[in-house]
Amino acid sequence: MDRMTTTAAPTTSVVAFESVTKTYGGVRAVDGLTLDLHPGETVALLGPNGAGKSTTLDLLLGLKRPDSGAVRVFGGGPREAIVGGRVGAMLQSGGLMDEVTVGELVRLACDLHPKPFRPTDVLARAGVSQLADRKVNKLSGGQEQRVRFALATAGDSDLIVLDEPTTGMDVSARQAFWATMREQADQGRTVLFATHYLEEADAIADRVLVLHRGRLLADGTAAEIKAKAGARRIAFDLESADGEIDEAPLRALPFLTTLDVSGHTVRIQSTDADATVHALYGLGVYPRNLEVAGLGLEQAFVAITAAEEAKQR
Amino acid sequence: MNSLIKLEITRALRNRKFLFFSVIYPSALFLLIAGSADSTTEVDGTGLSLPTFYMVSMASFGALTAVLMGNSERIAKERESGWVRQLRLTTLPGRGYVLAKTASAAVISLPSIVIVFIVAAAVKDVRLDAWQWAVLTLVIWAGSLVFAALGVAIGYLASGDAVRPITMIVYFGLSMLGGLWLPTTTFPDWLQSIANWLPTHAYAALGQSIELGDAPHAQDIPILAVSFVLFAGGAAWLYRKDTPPVPEGPGGTPKA
Repeated sequence: MDRMTTTAAPTTSVVAFESVTKTYGGVRAVDGLTLDLHPGETVALLGPNGAGKSTTLDLLLGLKRPDSGAVRVFGGGPREAIVGGRVGAMLQSGGLMDEVTVGELVRLACDLHPKPFRPTDVLARAGVSQLADRKVNKLSGGQEQRVRFALATAGDSDLIVLDEPTTGMDVSARQAFWATMREQADQGRTVLFATHYLEEADAIADRVLVLHRGRLLADGTAAEIKAKAGARRIAFDLESADGEIDEAPLRALPFLTTLDVSGHTVRIQSTDADATVHALYGLGVYPRNLEVAGLGLEQAFVAITAAEEAKQR
Repeated sequence: MNSLIKLEITRALRNRKFLFFSVIYPSALFLLIAGSADSTTEVDGTGLSLPTFYMVSMASFGALTAVLMGNSERIAKERESGWVRQLRLTTLPGRGYVLAKTASAAVISLPSIVIVFIVAAAVKDVRLDAWQWAVLTLVIWAGSLVFAALGVAIGYLASGDAVRPITMIVYFGLSMLGGLWLPTTTFPDWLQSIANWLPTHAYAALGQSIELGDAPHAQDIPILAVSFVLFAGGAAWLYRKDTPPVPEGPGGTPKA
């Protein structure tokens, strides 16, 4: 939550969310979200599936209305920003018009933009020039994503919003696409993209917002987030004379975030596994079958949440 | 919006299957039905020769195909695929999508009407006054908007696998019961009394009264007008349900 308290004047922020909440049938998809994006930033919205990333972007783009709170884009409403040509966006579920060619579709996007680029330039920058005559319904998943990107960058927008842009791409296609995204940022645009790959956030973003269950869990540089999400899981068996494991000394282990004891098995999550294991041996116990493993992103989020909650207590 | 209309038309003209069914098929059906009849065979109770009667029926049928079949399925599909959402991220006004769909349907329905007329005049010697040809074309073309609205409504009502069967039932139901394939005078009485209230029946009847040089039947124009209001109203309501209103300013109440 390092930068959550940073409040820029509303006029200078590109995007401002003020305590935005959106509920679907009792589930809070976005829960009291407050954030500010500044001009020129490349921001990753990182979170596991169901974290509320797409809902957040839908709210930002005016596709959904918040139940409470306010969403401002360039100081006004999302629709005004879009009509003014200030926002270009690519949706995760953004289907394409089929039976037309890529070139025709990109030309349409340019025609609909108040400050359009030349279609040939748009195609080239998105890396789809050679696909211009291809029918849209004859594209691979990765090619489709590039065409969506072309639609999002058809004009000189100040903010580019991309929802999981590299879905359906293999590793090399993903890396090539990151270069395309970086170009947009290098031209001074604010870029906001949702992803569930920490690696992707690390590769492009200079600021990472971690979203979990509709809440902003962390806001910092990729390195800071990586350190936080670098939590590890430690599991081992403990033998004891009476069959009862004394939890108190375990709970006092350094860097421990969660503790789970079932039978002889102890499971621990730690933000610094080396130190925790070292201290474990220091307790004078003899752990068997010791395993230390990295956490998946999703579990890392849970670990961060637990750490945040523990801090508040 | 013009660029979207242009692209929709380009796409429709490229779809051979759709062009066949909406532009060629009605003329082919006309030749099949009227082909062997000579111009003196009358359709009972209409005062029109068989070719003249079927010319209007098939022109109406072709226009119905063009405006109903293309749009309902496409709208349902594009709503699902997210293309409609993607378009909402452009400067295109909210209604632009539906208007472009309707406009492109209208562009396809015109040749489907005119080709039936040309075939009827050339092959079956159907002769009408110049004003009749002009008014007939205009009325059938304008009347097809009623069914274009219905197509949009179905596109927003149904989704996924349901849209095709629903469209088919509505399309065949309206075509057959409305008397576009067989004159309703061949129906049993109880069916006739239902058919007389269908918009497709009123649609074709309007064309046939122009061929006779008569004033339209009292109920035909009101039936079409009420149908249009119902279908367009339904389409607008379903559209609004599908597309939440775009907030004018910042949503909600900002903190002080």
